[in-house]
Amino acid sequence: MPRLDRLSQIARNNLLTFPAQVNETAPFVRLPKPLEGCRLAIVTTAGLHVRGDRPFAPGDQTYRAIPSDTPAVDIVQSHTSIGFDRVPMLRDVNISFPIDRLRELVARGEVGGLGSRSYSFMGAQREAARIESETGPEVARLLRDEGVDVALITPT
Amino acid sequence: MEGIATTSISLVREHTEKVKPPRALWVPFPFGHALGRPDDAALQHRVLRAALELLSAPAGPVLRDFPDDAEGSDQPPAPVQASTIAPATDVPRDVAMETTQMRRYHERWLETSGGRTACGLTGIPVTRFRGVVRFLEEFADGGDADMTERSADVPLPNFVRYCADDLKALYYEGHLAMKSAAGGEEIARWFWGETAAGQLLRRVRNRLDASDDPRWKAAAFGVAR
Repeated sequence: MPRLDRLSQIARNNLLTFPAQVNETAPFVRLPKPLEGCRLAIVTTAGLHVRGDRPFAPGDQTYRAIPSDTPAVDIVQSHTSIGFDRVPMLRDVNISFPIDRLRELVARGEVGGLGSRSYSFMGAQREAARIESETGPEVARLLRDEGVDVALITPT
Repeated sequence: MEGIATTSISLVREHTEKVKPPRALWVPFPFGHALGRPDDAALQHRVLRAALELLSAPAGPVLRDFPDDAEGSDQPPAPVQASTIAPATDVPRDVAMETTQMRRYHERWLETSGGRTACGLTGIPVTRFRGVVRFLEEFADGGDADMTERSADVPLPNFVRYCADDLKALYYEGHLAMKSAAGGEEIARWFWGETAAGQLLRRVRNRLDASDDPRWKAAAFGVAR
């Protein structure tokens, strides 16, 4: 995001008063092996899903799985915030979900491979207790079962 | 520690400083532009590489700034909203006819995008969007409107929101077919200032916002603000 001083007063206040979770530290996991041997998956908060899958609703703390071979034309966004510009996403899903860029890195041998599925939550959540206690850990277990070593987390 | 190594892209540095994810790359791009610019693979790769480079850090949390300034886009940091755009005096009134006209441009969009479209949240095909328009008009007028396509587990205000999003997608993508270089701000000024659909969605928003039900108000906030 541009620096706060470049936003309108209303947008700046919205961000400064947003109840972001405050943590003292983070559970840190080291990379288990060089990236060229790792399997990577995207976890996005862009509210994306396969067309025909259940759209996200306001305050929705569930997730959607997106098979990694889903064509970009079949991915849609139902994020319930209009605080971001949708036009980049209309043009190019890679703006938040860089699946084509990652396929290129895999083809070049810079990343070992992609997990069988990526996952999407919806961002701009003012209440995220269920993601923290239930749906977030569930996605972590699925990623682990799918042999994923690295998660790339992207916003919109 | 057992687990999965993560790296992330941050748009709001102040929030990331509080949350302290293990690794985060702060980028100076507008909301909606996390990887920089659409269809700019070179910039997207630079952002991606910078995020992946953080994986080599032995300890965290790590919060690093992407070195570029806001060169990724000429768009404003946050999108312009309907309430700041005055409608023109000669806005057409017939939304259904306008929607039918937009479909011609939308078909052109589908040809150039390889079939990619953001329409599809309601499950109603674009060929039947006149029905969506009639539903939204009846709803905005305060009627007891509904559509048979709404499944029982989707609350009415959520469905109204999906209808609004599908209609916006038709217009935005149709506009991109007319003018491929248009940015989000230009399209928003056209949609809210010059189209009948934009004025209809303002009225839909007003009815949702007049409700005491917070779920209706939340839907209003997502239709127009």
